[in-house]
Amino acid sequence: MTIRIRFFARFRELLGTDIVVAVPKNKGLSDLIKEVASRNKEGYDAIFNETGAFHEFVILMQNGKRIETADAQKIRVADGDEIAVFPPVAGG
Amino acid sequence: MNTVKSPGVNCRADTLVSDPGYQVNVMLSKRERERYKRQMMLFGDEGQERLKKANIFIAGAGGLGSPVSIYLAVAGVGTLTVVDKDVVELTNLNRQILHNDRDIGKKKVASAEEKLRAINPDITVKVIDTTIDESNASRLVGRADGIVDAMDNYPTRYLLNDIALQKNIPLFHGAIRGFYGQATTIIPGKTACLRCIFPSAPPKEVFPVVGVTPGFIGMIQVNEVLKYLLGTGELLANRLLIWDGMTAHAEEIAVVRNPACISCGAGPASKKTTAVNAKKIPKGKKK
Repeated sequence: MTIRIRFFARFRELLGTDIVVAVPKNKGLSDLIKEVASRNKEGYDAIFNETGAFHEFVILMQNGKRIETADAQKIRVADGDEIAVFPPVAGG
Repeated sequence: MNTVKSPGVNCRADTLVSDPGYQVNVMLSKRERERYKRQMMLFGDEGQERLKKANIFIAGAGGLGSPVSIYLAVAGVGTLTVVDKDVVELTNLNRQILHNDRDIGKKKVASAEEKLRAINPDITVKVIDTTIDESNASRLVGRADGIVDAMDNYPTRYLLNDIALQKNIPLFHGAIRGFYGQATTIIPGKTACLRCIFPSAPPKEVFPVVGVTPGFIGMIQVNEVLKYLLGTGELLANRLLIWDGMTAHAEEIAVVRNPACISCGAGPASKKTTAVNAKKIPKGKKK
């Protein structure tokens, strides 16, 4: 299966964007993002906390639909999925 | 007045709620007709009078608040209320275009008042030198027709979100970092609120920023305010616009109300630890 991951804002600076990955069937959404984010420790740490859970502020979307990060572990990705991962920006 | 064509949202501002104690002569003077001639080609006397009647609350006179207040002023929005508690610093001047070198050390609101009055003496500019917090937010916003979020922190944003919900007025959200920005328009009862979209605040930081980013996002916000007041166009309702200046891509993400939202849904209000239950909002300032 081919999945497209798009990081935004700070995550994009650290991890790039429009990352297309080939994954086996039944891949978990959370595991997939962890694997891709592991390419850069700072990027990984920006998204996940020390226990490996998503930081509370991380916004996760699967094909434009919001996913609760707490549910990401049990959600499976499907071929052609587009996953968006972004932090709210705070400055003004 | 036309309704706003937004997906699933029928919003218009034909009942402005501006402070009845403040009498606005909505008849346009000869001078105003001349000043606004080119935009009245777009929305006529009625539209310009609607702008003149309106009172917009601008929370912050910094990176976003500068372009927002300048463009609302030149458009002829009748009353602008600008709130900030900071002093102009040299490090502000790469983006906070209301202020210049000779304003360093001045209160931002004093600088803002001077510039906005010079830019358009035909509008009323009110400035308030204070930190927006739970104790004063509702009073400060008063009977404004809308709130522009030009803050730099989520605790105050959540507070403004709650005030907008309470008063049933729109919140025009914008935020920036570096070359990135985001904006959305929140219409109470009709769209996702700020907490539906961002239930948790990102960590506080001294954020990098280049002036064009708040300039860009501020223009999105002003464009939204004008459409809302004029009752025309399509609002950024239930749509989060995300701007990446590095690639010059603007994208949007559909957002939906969260039934369990602690601000606008059925969620426990006791969790609003950074908003209305906070006794003091730290640094309700705009950088």
